[in-house]
Amino acid sequence: MTARDLFEASAPVHPDVHLLDTDAGPRVLLADGSRLFGVGRALYDRIDAARRDPDPEVLDAVLADLGLDAPRRIDDLAPDPPPVRALSLAVAQKCNLGCTYCYAQQGDFGGPAKNMPERTAFTAVDALFRDAAPGERVNLAFLGGEPLINRPVVRAATDHAVTVSRRTGIPVTFSITTNGTLLTPEDGEFFEAHGFAVTVSLDGVGARHDLLRPHRDGRGSYQRVMDRVAPLLAMQRRMQVSARVTVTPLNLDLPRTLEEFTAAGFHGVGFSPMLSSPTGHGEMALPDLEVMLEQMTACGEEFVRRVLAGRRYPFTNLVTALREIHRGTHRPYPCGAGAGYLGVSADGELSACHRFVGDADGAMGDLATDPDDAKRARWLTDRHVHRQEPCSGCWARYLCGGGCHHEVIRRGRPACAYIRGWLHHCLSVYSRLLAARPDYFAA
Amino acid sequence: MSDDRIDPLNLTAQLNHTAAGNPPSTLPESAISNAYPGLEFDIRTIWRRLLVGIELHEADNYVVDAQPEHQGLIGRRLISVGDHDVIGPVVGPTRPGAGSAPLTSAGNPDGVMMLEWSNSLADVLADHVGRTVPCLFTADAAPNPVGKPAQLPDPRFQVVELEVRPLFARSAATGERLAVIAEDVAGPGELTSGLCSPWQNDYRECACYYWAASRPDYVNVEDTGAGTTTGNHWFAKDREPREYVLDNRDDSRLVSYDDLFRDWQGELRFIVGGDDAPEHLEADPEGR
Ligand code: SF4
Ligand code: SF4
Repeated sequence: MTARDLFEASAPVHPDVHLLDTDAGPRVLLADGSRLFGVGRALYDRIDAARRDPDPEVLDAVLADLGLDAPRRIDDLAPDPPPVRALSLAVAQKCNLGCTYCYAQQGDFGGPAKNMPERTAFTAVDALFRDAAPGERVNLAFLGGEPLINRPVVRAATDHAVTVSRRTGIPVTFSITTNGTLLTPEDGEFFEAHGFAVTVSLDGVGARHDLLRPHRDGRGSYQRVMDRVAPLLAMQRRMQVSARVTVTPLNLDLPRTLEEFTAAGFHGVGFSPMLSSPTGHGEMALPDLEVMLEQMTACGEEFVRRVLAGRRYPFTNLVTALREIHRGTHRPYPCGAGAGYLGVSADGELSACHRFVGDADGAMGDLATDPDDAKRARWLTDRHVHRQEPCSGCWARYLCGGGCHHEVIRRGRPACAYIRGWLHHCLSVYSRLLAARPDYFAA
Repeated sequence: MSDDRIDPLNLTAQLNHTAAGNPPSTLPESAISNAYPGLEFDIRTIWRRLLVGIELHEADNYVVDAQPEHQGLIGRRLISVGDHDVIGPVVGPTRPGAGSAPLTSAGNPDGVMMLEWSNSLADVLADHVGRTVPCLFTADAAPNPVGKPAQLPDPRFQVVELEVRPLFARSAATGERLAVIAEDVAGPGELTSGLCSPWQNDYRECACYYWAASRPDYVNVEDTGAGTTTGNHWFAKDREPREYVLDNRDDSRLVSYDDLFRDWQGELRFIVGGDDAPEHLEADPEGR
């Protein structure tokens, strides 16, 4: 299907059901519970007519007749703020690159550049473990700016977390998002020893990357990053080194990028469209998103070819989507921001996530006084997908969750056609693979 | 696929779909947080044939039936499976205020009790599914509970290797594990054969302390204006006088087991908003 066809096939008709005509046969997705069914043609037509009927009770009656009228799994009530089980530390609110679209405005989030003191990082680690119960696990993430500008605190906080983890028996996992320019082989050894998930921001191959992610003096950074990442790619066993590509109108060459990074040995390669930047630079408009969807489905077709041949292809967007579709993941939020996940600024202020550092919109108290549960509760109430428009009428709402809060608050929802088109494609791929390679999902 | 068929594909669809042959009451959403033995299905039954070749009692570590090659095990007791004991010592105070001591009796000299299968066999399933595992049985028939010997081997016990059966079915089409209980674990009707029978039995039986407590109790309640109330026990045969008769199965003012067995649908009244539903009042010209 072309991107245009996908836009059309995935346009919202009814909030509770979506229909797909896949190569593996007609499919029905019930938004509630993200339940996917194979149906015969007659039933497909019957549901199609019912979902277009102006009388909302017609569809309800058909679903009841089919025994699919289960009580709703997601209601309008926001959950109480859950315990925080993941923190990201903005260990360095500064950066050595000058990416045009950066949400952190070249690292400092529009304020003075600063490093997180070790004391603050330790306080954050202690807070993370404090209420964790046996059997739970916690995650500590390092972001920035560029976190490796403050390497000593990354290391000290990791070591401290390992010590607390041993003492409490609560397992901890680590992740870091870096621009890759400062990586050393010793960093690689350290990350390997602690099983880090290392995400390297790479916006394409060669000159494309250089255009978007220059040094502050204008020099490109691609070759330097690839040289510095190479030893980590070679040594990853416990550690997983992935590439994250921010897609702007200038780097819409996704299959080649995916291919190149796969060949380089990245464990995963993920693409996300640039939807909101402080300057407006690089933001994707609908025509760009159409091109992107075309490219994403091309990547998806290559993924299918390889999986059918029994091989691995680390196209993270699709791997994740297939896993979630198989499980029937359904959630009223796009992510754990403000819920089980919070960001910590260099000063120890808490925010809904790493992007809301220094931003009143996502302020959640500070480390000294613990997370502000009243603010978190308000956030969870306000951000519930049932309260978002046009999400409440969208069949994709429990798979999408309403879109990244940060982007939505800054720019709105310019990418819904893209999101739905992509999910439609993923649901089709799922249907095909489930029939052809059920073993892919058994693992 | 035939035109009216609907085939659950992903896991949530499977979980919430009524599997062929299962009653609607087997869906998770019909659960009323109780599975012993429950209203939806009797989960104890699914463990009875976990070990290939023998059939256990659903609520006792006792072999009730066996395939020909294991006929000798009938009437014996299963003590452990692999590393997992299926019995445990029973301890507690024997009189108020006393410390805990083994609770032994003439019928249970070792003071042990079978552990509920869902607890004792879940790990067995997880660790050994599809493989054989050493199972420790009493060497002879054992009508009463028997404890585990301090040391093995012990001539009073015997180890038999048995295979652990998968609990879940596989899709015939894809070979994938389904969220459906395998047919050879429980035959048709077995999952529901031991259910509560609330209307005939359990509203009476369970008094106010079990699931059937979610039945009406004090109904037709009115404020007397003196800080007290009047009203009826739901089981009161006559609604006059308005007084709450304390629950007692022998009190003839309340419906008895016999009444319920004979005519539960006539005796039990719908309660709407705390009061007898109008249909009962209208249908009963004598206004009882
Ligand atoms: S943000 Fe997501 S859930 Fe909301 S309308 Fe767009 S695609 Fe649908
Ligand atoms: S709000 Fe956006 S940036 Fe923050 S965690 Fe959620 S998806 Fe990520």
